[in-house]
Amino acid sequence: MIGSRLISTISMRDIKTALFIAYKSVVRGSKSTLALLVFILALSYLNMMFISGILSGLQKMFETTMIDVLTSHITVGPEQEPQPKQFIVNQDQVRQEIQSVPGVIATARHYNLAGSITFDKDKNGVVKSVSGTIVGIDPNQEKEVLTVNKLLKDGQFLSPEDTDQIVLSSALAGGYGIPAPSDLGGVRVGDKVQITYSNGIIKTYTVKGIYDDTLGIFETFISAREAESVLNVFNNASQILVKVDLSRGTLAGYENDIKALLPTLKVQNYLDILGTVAAFMNALNLISFIVSAISVLVASITIFVIVYINAINKSRQIGILKAIGIRQRIIILSYVFQSFFFAICGTLAGAFLVFGILTPLLARYPINVDFGYLSLNHRSVEVIAGTISLIAAGILAGFVPSRIVAKKDILKAIWG
Amino acid sequence: MIKAENLKKTYPGKVPTPALKGVTFEIQRGEFVAVMGRSGSGKSTLLHQLGLLDRPTGGKLFINKKDVIALSDEEKTKFRLSQLGYVFQEYALIAEFSALENVYLPSMALKGIPDKERAAELLRLVGLGDRLDHYPSELSGGEQQRVAIARALINNPIALLADEPTANLDSTSAKTVLSLFKRLNKDLKQTIVMVTHEPEDKKYVHRVIWLSDGLLEAISKSHSQA
Repeated sequence: MIGSRLISTISMRDIKTALFIAYKSVVRGSKSTLALLVFILALSYLNMMFISGILSGLQKMFETTMIDVLTSHITVGPEQEPQPKQFIVNQDQVRQEIQSVPGVIATARHYNLAGSITFDKDKNGVVKSVSGTIVGIDPNQEKEVLTVNKLLKDGQFLSPEDTDQIVLSSALAGGYGIPAPSDLGGVRVGDKVQITYSNGIIKTYTVKGIYDDTLGIFETFISAREAESVLNVFNNASQILVKVDLSRGTLAGYENDIKALLPTLKVQNYLDILGTVAAFMNALNLISFIVSAISVLVASITIFVIVYINAINKSRQIGILKAIGIRQRIIILSYVFQSFFFAICGTLAGAFLVFGILTPLLARYPINVDFGYLSLNHRSVEVIAGTISLIAAGILAGFVPSRIVAKKDILKAIWG
Repeated sequence: MIKAENLKKTYPGKVPTPALKGVTFEIQRGEFVAVMGRSGSGKSTLLHQLGLLDRPTGGKLFINKKDVIALSDEEKTKFRLSQLGYVFQEYALIAEFSALENVYLPSMALKGIPDKERAAELLRLVGLGDRLDHYPSELSGGEQQRVAIARALINNPIALLADEPTANLDSTSAKTVLSLFKRLNKDLKQTIVMVTHEPEDKKYVHRVIWLSDGLLEAISKSHSQA
């Protein structure tokens, strides 16, 4: 209210005079105060953008990893109405239809089987057993959609013809230093494991490859051909993963296109599937917001204190200005202009540190955080909001203390 | 032109301190008047009331027939800017401004554009034509006081009020400033009210208002103008 009253009574003459006073104060004023203010603001900006950038980067990395390793962008499942079906039938035809949607890059079918994996390490009848999901995949399709084949720690990925080989999660295999609730006690490539499927079929497989499962997805891969033999089906799929080009359309747009094409099937995007993980990502957003707000608050208080001390030190000058007839609003405005200048300089310096040095540096040398490489990711809305709030906070933090000092009685201001 | 009627000022506190106990006088246009008295007699307090830097606790004050006590703070500021020139004891220049900028700042606040030509002319008038771009730290005390006088004149004030303008100056600089006041009064018919404690300053003025313990003791005419 005070600010709006001030603004409503300001004339162009006041602005010119205030600008002149502000300009002279900055140009002829203490360079060390200026440097300190700009430095603090730059650090505040850096803090705000770094934390939000790293959290956003973490979120992006996590999202990308999940899309690449587990869910892809969109997942198509069997009919749910009127009765839930176990499989998508004639999956070749369905995948062809999905691939006809412009922007769809590739599709891959999955068979999802439940079972128990057993390993007799010392071949003495003492076995370790874990339950888990066994996924039947078409290795060639899989390479087009997910990147599990690139995560191999040992051995090789599956071939379409493999019927007696599997690819195991390092977390399930055990002995790879990745904690898991239970593991097989140290399976290595070439070892034989036994799988007891939920339909009672028991089969023995040779471990062909072990993939790095830092994320803990615990999936075991067999070929689709082998899955079909276990399930006694042909050309079906438990789900079809769809990879899309997000530069050509939105996730929701692709989802709607596929739903329109296949109205009876269950179409979900990766956010729907991730569920609690999406909630975790929302929590990261909230943390990012809180950290940014604290940064802005710290910056505001810092500017407030420095401008206040500066204004107190200049209270004699403020008194003189008032005594010679310079209106209080011109004096306040001159401090607001100075604060605006400090905020702009600090933000520019901070932006240079963030976008000119730190972001390119981390893009070139990302931080290895086990399940991926972390770099700064800046969302434009966060950058704009952060920049505007820091500048606004700077202006406000300049306005309040200058108003306190400018309101002082003229004679008290001059003689203390 | 300046008319004070029973002007009073009491400073608040646990024990209120009356500094002016009811002072009545008139100053005519074009007069050069000194306010004199011992330390604590209320000289500076009186000038603060005339300069609208302080609010009297009683009485009336008219400047150019305007009841200035009734003005709002905003109106008083405008009045100070457009009608009065004030010279402080301690020069009171803005350290970041050059001599020229110090002088034209009030014209900028009044008209929106700096009257650089008049500012330069005034600085030449006070003998600082070669110091326009000097900053206060680069000027002597006497020079700074002359810049302050030029600043006080920039908006053609109806009265120039000076609070012990020579108190911090050496005798040569003090003489220069007083001679300058005399010249401004004589040549430009500038009304000047000056607080001073130097008895010899009487010779520069038309009249002396004598204060004692917050009361008007006497008003005497000066018979020996320099």
